[in-house]
Amino acid sequence: MVELLAQTGLNAIYAASYMSLVAVGLVLIFGVMGVINFAHGELYMLGAYAVVGLYADFQMPFIFAIAVGLVFVGVVGLGMERALFRPLRDNPLGGLVASIGFLMVLQALAVMGFGVRMEHVPPVTQEVIVFSEKVRLAVPRLFVIIAAVVLLTALWVFLKKTRFGWALRASAQDPEAAALQGISINQTSRIAMFIGAGLAGIAGALTAPLVSVNPYMGHSVIITAFIVIIVGGIGSLEGAVIAAVAYAFIHTIVTTFWDGVIANIVGLSLMLAVLIVKPTGLFGATDRA
Amino acid sequence: MLIKMLKNGLTRRKLLGATAVAVGSAATVSLLPKAAFAAGKVIKIGFLAPLTGPVSAWGKPGLDGCEIWADWINAAGGIKLADGNYMVEFVAYDNEYDPAKARTGATKLIREEGVSFVMMLGGDTWPGAQPVADKTGMLFSTLLPSDLAPDTTTLIAPTEVHPIYNVTGVEWLAENKPDLKTAVMCAQDDALGLPSVATYLAAFEAEGIEMLAEPLLFDPATTDFAPVVTKLLANNPQIFCLDTCYSDYVHPICEQLFQQGYKGQIISCTADFYEQMIEKTSVEFMEGFIFQFPDFDDPALNADFINFKDPNKFYEEYNKRHPGEWGAVSWEYASIMDLWKAAAEKAGSAEPADVLAAMKEGGKGQHAFGTADWWGKDLFGIDNALVGDWPVVVIEGGKARIKGFKSIPEWYAKHGDLLKKHMAAYGQMWDQRT
Repeated sequence: MVELLAQTGLNAIYAASYMSLVAVGLVLIFGVMGVINFAHGELYMLGAYAVVGLYADFQMPFIFAIAVGLVFVGVVGLGMERALFRPLRDNPLGGLVASIGFLMVLQALAVMGFGVRMEHVPPVTQEVIVFSEKVRLAVPRLFVIIAAVVLLTALWVFLKKTRFGWALRASAQDPEAAALQGISINQTSRIAMFIGAGLAGIAGALTAPLVSVNPYMGHSVIITAFIVIIVGGIGSLEGAVIAAVAYAFIHTIVTTFWDGVIANIVGLSLMLAVLIVKPTGLFGATDRA
Repeated sequence: MLIKMLKNGLTRRKLLGATAVAVGSAATVSLLPKAAFAAGKVIKIGFLAPLTGPVSAWGKPGLDGCEIWADWINAAGGIKLADGNYMVEFVAYDNEYDPAKARTGATKLIREEGVSFVMMLGGDTWPGAQPVADKTGMLFSTLLPSDLAPDTTTLIAPTEVHPIYNVTGVEWLAENKPDLKTAVMCAQDDALGLPSVATYLAAFEAEGIEMLAEPLLFDPATTDFAPVVTKLLANNPQIFCLDTCYSDYVHPICEQLFQQGYKGQIISCTADFYEQMIEKTSVEFMEGFIFQFPDFDDPALNADFINFKDPNKFYEEYNKRHPGEWGAVSWEYASIMDLWKAAAEKAGSAEPADVLAAMKEGGKGQHAFGTADWWGKDLFGIDNALVGDWPVVVIEGGKARIKGFKSIPEWYAKHGDLLKKHMAAYGQMWDQRT
């Protein structure tokens, strides 16, 4: 039983890691720009395909493929901000609808470029850290965990200690007041979108060797991400991380000791309970302004 | 797979076209390039299967195999009916393994394309197409005999015997590795997974192999299989059964088994693209992996009793046209076409009723793996499955090899009651299905 719990804990930490990256990216975009990006799962998918193209097809080093994936998806995010969200800044519903359309475009492009079948990504390494006979952590999963910790810590430092970070937080808190203080809303939106999309992209890139890469892989990720940010509080980065960890642990434990369908029900029930008791989420502010 | 749009160039026209495709994807008809038979008579055959999505591994490779079959048949003069020779042409519709799309596709293929026969994967999509079959009297085929019922009079399962053939793998396992006595199993919770679970349970029980836990039915949306594998390995099984998991699940589950240190026996219905699984794990880890689908370069398929023309050449041609894409169904739909063609030529007609009567005349048929019986009344309520021997395939030294052929009717004669018991427990008997 101890070994089972330990292995379950390792599984949960991995799940929490990539989910935190995706959820924090989504929260950052909403927090600064006030738009729900339904194409966020497809940004995760793009990051995975960056690894498919560069690492699997062209045999580039994995670390290079990840770095390019982050930048590439970040740039796609910049394109989304400029072409979709900025023109619809005063119309959040329009931005949401536009993101839904864009997710279909991204899926279609992935189908055209790579086909619809599961892509094979060779393992980065087959090394496994063996804690005991039944408690093991594959090194590629460790990469995801380390990357999540490093990136989220870096993001925290960026937001708390840098001028750009203060500008982002000010824009999220009160865009009009921020603008009056001389903060460029366009610039903060671009930064938020690049970082938010980049986080989703790197989550996809890191998990590409570990999951079935296909054009529709963003579906399950975005649903879980929405549950996490609703529970954590839309607009709260700390809430997203805490909720991702909590959700990952609950989901993994329930899956291991009962089954995955019950785990999904529990996750959705948790979201429902939070919405009833505290509609703004566990760490959400009472309103965005 | 190289990025096609870099090779072909991404123009704005293509981008807009892609957008239109994406927006209308729910109603998109996948009409693959047809041979231009400007002169001469043509018989159209409908191919209604998932060509995209997570189940596409059991649709698209089959269509690719059919194209080879069509080229060979047309080069040899086509299909000879009473009123002359006909070229054959396949018309595909991607049902994305969705019953509503299957219904739309069936209607389009029959009413607009005028096909003479419709081949399907079946499973969850058959209930969508059945009303169309019933209304039109069109002859349909399925890869899943578990779709059959007394009222499916125009549905046949002439090639694949899913899930019943899975008993052959377990029977071979018990004969050759009698010390393996405990098992666990997982499957996706759908029309492909559930009847196969019942079949494996019956097969394990017949061989005295103990199930250490209830079969784990995971959500088809699962992407991280670590918790699933951890849960099942906690039982310390000697056998890990992957049931009829899609290839999108078989690969990550096997990888997790490898990473979590499993060293026991693995048995599965399929092992599509097993070379990729070996790359993700190791030759040693995959040694002895048992499944049900041979590579057609297997020398065992050159035996006299095999009823598939030039299997080795077919495999070579397939790999030439679609390198690395050979899968479980690459040959199956072509094999169904062999049966259909023989029946149509015997009847002198492509009319569904005539072909069906010719196909079932005498109660026997030339299945790909030998002479087989039209069978199934006891289990499905109708004798519309062509059932005989089926190969047991084992991966050895990184290559899949047939280890023998086992008789399904013989197994059923001994253990049929067990199978019916487990099928009923999972609600998979024909009279329990809605």
